[in-house]
Amino acid sequence: MFAFSKEAEKKIEKILKKYPEGRKRSALLPLLTLVQRQERHVNPDAMREIGRRLDLSPAYVQSVCSFYTMYSNKPVGKYLILFCINISCQLNGCDELLAHTAKKLNIEIGGTTEDMKFTLHREECLAACSGGPMMRINDTFYENLTAEKIDQILGSLD
Amino acid sequence: MTQILFHNINKKNLHTLEVYEQEGGYQGLKKAFAREPDEIVEMVKASGLRGRGGAGFPTGLKWSFLAKDVFPRYLCCNADESEPGTCKDRELLLKNPHLLIEGMILCSYACKIETGYIYLRGEFYDLCEIMEGAIEEAYAKGYLGKNILGSGFNLDIHTHLGAGAYICGEESALLNSLEGGRGEPRMKPPFPAVQGLYEKPTVINNVETLCVVPYIVNNGAEKHAAIGTEKSKGTKLVSVSGHVKKPGNYEVVMGTTVREIIYDLAGGIRDDNELKAYIPGGSSVPMVPADQVDTPYDYESLQAIGTMLGSGALIVIDHTVNVVETSLRLASFYMHESCGKCTPCREGTRWMWQLLNQIQTGQGEAAHVDKLVDICDNMSFKCFCPLGDAAVAPVISSIQKFRADYDELIEKLTANPAV
Amino acid sequence: MADDQVTLTIDDQTVSVPKGTKVVDAAKSVGIEIPVFCYHEKLGPLGCCRMCLVEVEKMPKLMTACTMDVGPDMVVKTTTPKVEKAQKGVLEFTLLNHPLDCPVCDKGGECPLQNNTFKYGPGDTRMDFHRAENLKAGPLSPVITLDRERCIACQRCTRYSEVIEQDNALVMHNRGFNNEVGTFNNEPYDTRFSGNVIDICPVGALTNSQFRFKARTWDLTNSDTLCAHCGCNCNMTLGVRTNKFMRIEARPNDLVDDGWICDKARWGYDFLESKNRLVEARTVPDNGTMVFSSPTTQDAAVRTAEAIKKIVDEHGPESVGFIGSPYGTNEELYLYQKLFRLGFGTNNIDHKTYADSPGLPIDHYDVSEIETADLVLVIASDPTEELPILDLRIKKVVTRHGVKLAVLNDQATLMDKYAHLSLRYNIGSDAGVFAALTAAISGEGMADIKTTGIKADQLKSLVEMLRASKKVTLIYNSSALTGQSVAVLKQLMAMIKNIPSIECGAIPAVPHTNAVGAMDMGILPDYYPGGVPVADGEAIQQTWGETAPTQPGLSAMEMIRKAESGELKALLVYRANPVVDFPGGKQVEEALKKLDLLVVHDMFETETAKLAHILLPSNGPGVDDGTTTNIGGRVQFRKGGLKTAHPPDWKIISLMANTVSEEGDGINYITSFSVTDEIAKNVPGYAEISKKSIKKEGMTRVSSASINATGAVSKESSPPKPEALKLRIANYLFAHNTILDATSTLAHHFKPSIVHMHASDAKKLKLKNEDDVVVVSGDTQVSAQVEISNRCNPGGVVLPNISDEQGVWGLANSRDSVTWVEIRKV
Ligand SMILES: Cc1cc2nc3c(=O)[nH]c(=O)nc-3n(C[C@H](O)[C@H](O)[C@H](O)COP(=O)(O)O)c2cc1C
Ligand code: SF4
Ligand code: FES
Repeated sequence: MFAFSKEAEKKIEKILKKYPEGRKRSALLPLLTLVQRQERHVNPDAMREIGRRLDLSPAYVQSVCSFYTMYSNKPVGKYLILFCINISCQLNGCDELLAHTAKKLNIEIGGTTEDMKFTLHREECLAACSGGPMMRINDTFYENLTAEKIDQILGSLD
Repeated sequence: MTQILFHNINKKNLHTLEVYEQEGGYQGLKKAFAREPDEIVEMVKASGLRGRGGAGFPTGLKWSFLAKDVFPRYLCCNADESEPGTCKDRELLLKNPHLLIEGMILCSYACKIETGYIYLRGEFYDLCEIMEGAIEEAYAKGYLGKNILGSGFNLDIHTHLGAGAYICGEESALLNSLEGGRGEPRMKPPFPAVQGLYEKPTVINNVETLCVVPYIVNNGAEKHAAIGTEKSKGTKLVSVSGHVKKPGNYEVVMGTTVREIIYDLAGGIRDDNELKAYIPGGSSVPMVPADQVDTPYDYESLQAIGTMLGSGALIVIDHTVNVVETSLRLASFYMHESCGKCTPCREGTRWMWQLLNQIQTGQGEAAHVDKLVDICDNMSFKCFCPLGDAAVAPVISSIQKFRADYDELIEKLTANPAV
Repeated sequence: MADDQVTLTIDDQTVSVPKGTKVVDAAKSVGIEIPVFCYHEKLGPLGCCRMCLVEVEKMPKLMTACTMDVGPDMVVKTTTPKVEKAQKGVLEFTLLNHPLDCPVCDKGGECPLQNNTFKYGPGDTRMDFHRAENLKAGPLSPVITLDRERCIACQRCTRYSEVIEQDNALVMHNRGFNNEVGTFNNEPYDTRFSGNVIDICPVGALTNSQFRFKARTWDLTNSDTLCAHCGCNCNMTLGVRTNKFMRIEARPNDLVDDGWICDKARWGYDFLESKNRLVEARTVPDNGTMVFSSPTTQDAAVRTAEAIKKIVDEHGPESVGFIGSPYGTNEELYLYQKLFRLGFGTNNIDHKTYADSPGLPIDHYDVSEIETADLVLVIASDPTEELPILDLRIKKVVTRHGVKLAVLNDQATLMDKYAHLSLRYNIGSDAGVFAALTAAISGEGMADIKTTGIKADQLKSLVEMLRASKKVTLIYNSSALTGQSVAVLKQLMAMIKNIPSIECGAIPAVPHTNAVGAMDMGILPDYYPGGVPVADGEAIQQTWGETAPTQPGLSAMEMIRKAESGELKALLVYRANPVVDFPGGKQVEEALKKLDLLVVHDMFETETAKLAHILLPSNGPGVDDGTTTNIGGRVQFRKGGLKTAHPPDWKIISLMANTVSEEGDGINYITSFSVTDEIAKNVPGYAEISKKSIKKEGMTRVSSASINATGAVSKESSPPKPEALKLRIANYLFAHNTILDATSTLAHHFKPSIVHMHASDAKKLKLKNEDDVVVVSGDTQVSAQVEISNRCNPGGVVLPNISDEQGVWGLANSRDSVTWVEIRKV
């Protein structure tokens, strides 16, 4: 069974106030985001619970959830690495660096380390193009990457 | 060079209300409140400001289209910034959030709006927190909330995070997403100005567009209209990326040449390589070969050479690159981001990617290129929303301008299939 | 008028259509076809498939004809080279990942994709990579097969779920190329109206599992018929091959069904081939005078008539009776009442166990009037379970046309969610509430309504809503009212009619197929056909002759009582099952056993049929032709489809009539329409009804005016024991009964027996959710599980009738008063 954490409940209260009366469906993405951050994925139980709160069918919740790439259906690692591979980063050699990172973590791109510490995703443009190659780890952007820099960043995370 | 957005962008703690006020922030409000809302709309019209989100639609005109006498109305600030190559809104949000808030207050006052949302792409979680901090400060200081500065005008601003979908930058998809739906674009008409968020009249503007408004209100429409070219007024933030020595966001006066931007501001091509091509306005606009580097950077001049200013993302490509590689990457991007609602875009982006991939991996034939051209034609202006056209632009332009790159790859690989 | 018309040019033709028409429909109106996939009239425009691109003068781009409103002086071209290239291009995209398995596809022959490709498509494909692999066809529900490979993502089905059924149970998952149709977590898509997605899917992605691989569509003989389940009488097509039932599809008639049918219509026809069907006439050999068995149906009919006649001769006409069925056709019912009135001289004729009388003090509204109302007031009716298509229509007008909805009921229904005002009265308080409303509207002020469970301000809101409306449609189910409250309700209607600013009409929403027709045909002890009261001797004799009886007869429940006491000797039961469906259960059975002669004319071996001395097989819907009158008063033709050696029911009945006819010169009807013609002649209100007039969309008959109904507000009865609760028997669409038997395609919808309680009562009785209990009344008890759902007010329970076996009607004594039950934990 899924339950929101106390902290999340407080946030939900605030979130629901953002939208006009009768429009609580607007809170769907924010609530899914809370679940994703709390559980590191969104499972059907959570969708049902969100549907109950917002008066939406669970199928609807799943339909919306599956449209957006930031919600995952299986847990991601403690550190989610989104590695930008779009054009500006590509021109600056992101492909080699991505391969380097995957090798370093000893996982496939898209995979998660066995200890559930790192998940590595290929990501579309993250709006840090003049800082490319770049990656986002959880909420932090790391720009102007080099292999050494990546090693150092990964090493500093525990 | 005249700067109206970036003149103080690197000032320490500009993101705090205190520093923002020291820099003359929120002065526009009193000036605005002394006038009738409609006057502000007229002022923005006269300033010549055009949307900085990509389409370049005159901002004042857009505001004046709001359905008459229908309330409530909404403002949605488009902070979805997802167009490959574009990273200017992020810098504004990160370093000068109060500028956006002030711009939103001015817009809302002019358009008689009492609720505004800032739709941030989901990956801007950190910026969202910064934005929320700034909003809180503004409330505390009475710039937001009820009866702002005793004017009788009320405004609430909320943040709203997306969750990973480029299409949500398209204004009607943004509205669907903000309403808790799948980010699929809506049929137009009705246009958002008539039936937007919650079926109410809605203004949607890009972050940069709204950030220009305080300047106009503070300094007058004429002052803004005096900057730039005859039809492209003011300055533009340009995100320069790719093969330049000093990539970054630069604020330039409209009409500055691409050469000046690349060579003077961004320090020239890396390793002093030869320029091969540039994409002037983000991945969705046609690429331009190096011989047109002296084109002035403004809406009309870029349109005249068959491309667009778009979101102001200048992607620079040097001679070491075969364009099939960049085309393939962008095709893959559009395939990934097509919402799937309409057939030509959903199927066409994937087919394009398939063909480019075949060419890139050595299974290409000359006929594939012709087929690509025809598929592009079958998609062009036949899709539901501009994303389909956007997907076509980089591919078709790369074929038109650099067909040799395709032929070379096809020939080389046919001759030497082992590679 | 002219202001609302727009004139434009399409392919050089001048077209004039109402403002707001889409270009695609404007073209259609002059016979120009613009191909579409995603567009569906009832769903509104979406513009996603891009099949309908056309050229419009002064527009730089091709435009989608399905999303574009017509404009004055617009010039549209649908066949230019530019358009043709676009159509080829779009079709090429559409087919890119389609398996092209038309030879084995059930949609073959009636597939828009196939047709459009043939007409507008490219000759071949230029695709030279692997087609997207997708899951092979699999069940979307026990009755629908989903083949994702064939899906073209037009979203018709998911929008149907969103816009029409409004439950968002079928949705689009994922994004872009990975888009797919699905349900939550792959759970089955088994809603009440799920099957409509099959009809609207423009490809073979969603198919009827029952029909899969059974026949090619072009091999079917389709007959245009009506659904015989509920009073909506939805139009449908019965597909038959080599005299075997194949499938049912919707056959849109906006005036009746708005284009949709419910799943019971689509899959509730296994009874056509049920094992339980009566296939031959039978008699019980050792029953005194009758010692024949297995006669032909004709023989048995003749003997039946003779036997009843004999009893009439011996004991008088009061000793025989007829219990008809609200499921029979007008023709069948008309002939039966004629047989009993003129042939046997009795008015002991009835078809129901609740109070009601024909006619209305206000207009009888056709169902489509709901669309133009500004207030719909639903009283004691549960459309979702009782008249499902009505549920869709109400949802539509409320959510899309801005119509207000008020609900007045003793139980919660799915309508509440859509209602602007929903009042819940205590079980049994209906008359009190109606009387109070009447008083409030007439300006007499607020009556004391404390005991009704409704608050004064709620009642006031309802009055205000009524007063603020220009056009009100009342929907009421008299079979769910108690005592004589229907008469009080009719007084309320008359009172609303008195408000000059309100236009008002009612839809009597008794669930059964032909409940309105049964009333119209005079299957009543006190009314002749067309609502002519037995007291009106003159009118009766004029139409029916000197000998027509003018004494009121016995009601159905009275007949049962007189059977019990031995005063009633013979009873003919036509397509009804009193043992299960009448209040009393066991008692009814005992009473029927006492009859000298029980004739059952039915399609099935029902519990009542088991007691019969003579059994006459009935063909019923799907086989026999006839007309029925729906809840909107619309008379339509229900064609048969399957052939049989048995004579049609109307023939059997007229054979009986001829047998007992004094002159021996009875009428020989040639087809069912011969009877219809006689109805037109003899039944007031039906004068215009004929084979021709009802052919296309049916035709509304004229409702009889109501006789000033008098009904008193009955006293609230007090509980026999302090812990007793009032019983409300509710309907469930997919109840497990003779029609939906154990082998039914819809068996997955069967439900366990649940008793719905109010939390306060459950607390008092120390019951919790899922407790096993028995619901007890007298010496009858029904097992159920507790669900604390507050479906009714405290002091009552709601027990949905989920199967014949459950035996809920056994708990009730009669319909005259509220039944008290005890809930005992087991
Ligand atoms: C596929 C697509 C993506 C877009 N993405 C963005 C975006 O990320 N940010 C933005 O401001 N505008 C974006 N736009 C443009 C918006 O639809 C809209 O024109 C803009 O927000 C209007 O604001 P403006 O008038 O201030 O430019 C996008 C448009 C399309 C078709
Ligand atoms: S299943 Fe049919 S109706 Fe549904 S989206 Fe696919 S093609 Fe359209
Ligand atoms: S029918 Fe017009 S877009 Fe599908």
